Amino acid sequence: MSEEMREVFGKTLVELGHEFAELVVLDADLHTSSKAVYFKQAFPGRFIQCGIAEQNMFGIAAGLATQGFIPFPCTFAVFASQRALDQIAVSIAYPRLSVKIPGSYVGIPTSRAGASHNAVADLAIMRSLPHMRVADPGDNRELRSLMRAAVLTEGPVYFRITRYTLPDLFGTGYEFAWGRGVRLREGRDVTLIGTGMMTGLCLEAAELLARDGVSAEVLHCGSIKPLDEDLVAESARKTGAVVTAENASVVGGLGSAVAEVLTERAPAVLRRVGVQDRFIESGGIGELLAHHRMRPADIAGRAREALEAKERLP
Amino acid sequence: MRVKPEETLRLEEIAYQIRRLSLEMITCGRWGHVGGSFSLAEILACLYFHELEVDPQNPRWEGRDRFVLSKAHASPALYAALALRGFFPVEELYTYCELGGRLEGHTDMTRTPGLECSGGALGQGLSIAVGMALGFRMKEQPYNRVYCVLGDGECNEGQVWEAAMSAAHYHLDNLIAIVDYNKVMAKGFVWEEMGLEPLRAKWRAFGWEVLEVDGHDIEALLRVLYEARHVRVHGAPIAVIAHTVKGKGLRETEFNYKWHTQAPDPEQDDSMLRQLARNYGRPEEGYSKLNDPVAKEKFYGGE
Repeated sequence: MSEEMREVFGKTLVELGHEFAELVVLDADLHTSSKAVYFKQAFPGRFIQCGIAEQNMFGIAAGLATQGFIPFPCTFAVFASQRALDQIAVSIAYPRLSVKIPGSYVGIPTSRAGASHNAVADLAIMRSLPHMRVADPGDNRELRSLMRAAVLTEGPVYFRITRYTLPDLFGTGYEFAWGRGVRLREGRDVTLIGTGMMTGLCLEAAELLARDGVSAEVLHCGSIKPLDEDLVAESARKTGAVVTAENASVVGGLGSAVAEVLTERAPAVLRRVGVQDRFIESGGIGELLAHHRMRPADIAGRAREALEAKERLP
Repeated sequence: MRVKPEETLRLEEIAYQIRRLSLEMITCGRWGHVGGSFSLAEILACLYFHELEVDPQNPRWEGRDRFVLSKAHASPALYAALALRGFFPVEELYTYCELGGRLEGHTDMTRTPGLECSGGALGQGLSIAVGMALGFRMKEQPYNRVYCVLGDGECNEGQVWEAAMSAAHYHLDNLIAIVDYNKVMAKGFVWEEMGLEPLRAKWRAFGWEVLEVDGHDIEALLRVLYEARHVRVHGAPIAVIAHTVKGKGLRETEFNYKWHTQAPDPEQDDSMLRQLARNYGRPEEGYSKLNDPVAKEKFYGGE
């Protein structure tokens, strides 16, 4: 059984901390939730508690970055992307400082906490910042690889940690790379593009579609910015129908990024699975997935809609 | 601490040049903040020509002190100080706000040699300075200091007080915040827009050592900066409340929020610079580009 993603995040921070002496972790009173607590235990002198003051925390991170440190300011994605957006934009992204921003508690699995704690717009917001790289890893292997890539990448990085246990999607040889998507399943009729926790659900949806004789291709785009535009365009040209799936608002996130590629490079029918321009209310994870029509059966349903729309095209 | 009279005279000249060049820049760039640049002239002269350990030949020298201009709209004064100190040619100041140039309207550390951070969104600089001060501690550089200049109106921003709280929590006595208390904001006086008093008590209550000074008195400034760096170092960050006059140096700009953001035209600038020279007992110098046909064409024919 694989571990909860935040556990892997916390342990990987410690591993990277051993390897990179300049790595420091900042917290806004959430380290036992984010699991940055493991880093605090391992490197108390490199852990900076900032209290419940996210704007200040991101500013401090910027200052540390100018001193040659690689700061990981840790908080919930919603506070990073909304409360501290101006600090991230002006103090960090504008001067291209090497601050690595983990956004935890994203989307549906944040579950009962409700709208104030649940980030659904973070992908859109972060994607809109120049110099910012954005990723939503699909499994623990990818998260580990992505965190290493983040440390080794110059400039600001935003990545998501889902409070959930995700199935392993990638083999041990897999390495995350910016702007590189992966084809997880070959298909002819429709392309399902997932990011983060939704890629696993896309694979299940592809199985459902196969039972009806529909051949679905499944792509995973862990790197949302930069996006693997070539892979998306190539697959869209082949199938002519695309469904995106993200654990985030369909406004501005992966669905929008794919729509931009399709419109400019490879026109195809598109359907977007994700939170439909709404705040997420409290509920159980299964209930919420059903409510927001984000289960594998929903993805498969959207794929059938896309196929029908494709057939109606002249 | 004794201040030599010739040192005071030298820094007065620098402060005069910072004002003169700021006005030239703002005219040439057709945009900029006269009031907030003029109130800072002596403070920047004292910092860049007396207090700060910096090396213009090697702007990224590890052992340098750090300076953060949180009220980054006073960029003309800072650029003038940096150019006079030798970080880049004084002539380059005339490219202020020019597309593709190195001198942005608000500071961009990736462009301008000598800048330690980017800014413009008020309230953010002190947090960055806290990060720098923590960095000095973690790198075991006890002799270095971080200086951060804040505007008075800027102290309305909540983030300033988040940063103040964290600096005291971490006992950052290597951090010196200087409030340019010029009493005038963008659209009115401080006490009308949002009262700050009791300002000294606020910083004290947040755990800071507080010093007050006449921000245009060079000798007093040097004493306070000496005290902040060498004497009052006992586990608390230090706030210097510098009482200044917004737009200090010219009859029309002093204490006048209408000159917060405003660019004079070349003729107006010429007479303002002559007045400035007279007020400071310098030989009268007008706007250097007044009769430069290229500059004029750019000014009147541009956009």
